[in-house]
Amino acid sequence: MEITTETTNGALIARAEGRIDGANARDFESAVQTAVRDCEGAVIIDCENLSYISSAGLRAILLIAKTLGKRQVKFALCSLSDPIAEIFQISGFDQIISTHSSRDEALAAVDS
Amino acid sequence: MSVSDDTRNDHLLHFTVVNDLREIAVAADRIDEFCSVHGIPTATAYAVNLSVDELLTNTISYGYEDSEEHRIDLKIRRDGDVLTIEITDDGIEFAPDSAKDPDTAASIEDRPIGGLGIFLTRQMMDSFDYRRDGGRNIVTLTKKTGTASPENQ
Repeated sequence: MEITTETTNGALIARAEGRIDGANARDFESAVQTAVRDCEGAVIIDCENLSYISSAGLRAILLIAKTLGKRQVKFALCSLSDPIAEIFQISGFDQIISTHSSRDEALAAVDS
Repeated sequence: MSVSDDTRNDHLLHFTVVNDLREIAVAADRIDEFCSVHGIPTATAYAVNLSVDELLTNTISYGYEDSEEHRIDLKIRRDGDVLTIEITDDGIEFAPDSAKDPDTAASIEDRPIGGLGIFLTRQMMDSFDYRRDGGRNIVTLTKKTGTASPENQ
């Protein structure tokens, strides 16, 4: 699992790569929490190169969402693969976390 | 398990992992390879990986009261269009039926952290069976492969 960040239109984009499983979900969460600590604009996690996520990864995303929610920072995910989108759907995460098919769509959504 | 299937080794993936969470990625590589050889669709391979991950994560994180090394046995068998996954460990007894399904309609503030693993496994698999036998937990899962393509050899 690897996280790289960049800023586009005032939004922090964290690109997640590889697998988020029971072994590294905590590392993923702390890497993103550190990256967004001083962020005042929106935060987008780009999942285009994310191949796999388990419930431990969902838990990490929920914790990040809760942290950002308290600070009223907008938060979205984009470019989920079909199996990952299915996990979001089954767990109901698609109802509580804003997900978009592309980065541009996510940027437009957090900008509105 | 029937004896005849054990002799058809190309239909059986059998290996053990130790109680270290990093073994989940090792197991995933072996499962992906097995699924690829058998022409099993990516979505099914994902479901199998997820289920194995969730069960291993639970067992490795909460199943042992000592700090010794333990072995967890994994069997994945293909019979026609059905995959059977059997996971055996010597951890403490657990009660998967007692786990309450999460409220998937709860708001972000009300959504509890955790409690999703067994729920996702049940949703992704066609059957989920747990039994305690001789001091061991044995979880048996089945899943249709979702493909009618001929077997690759």
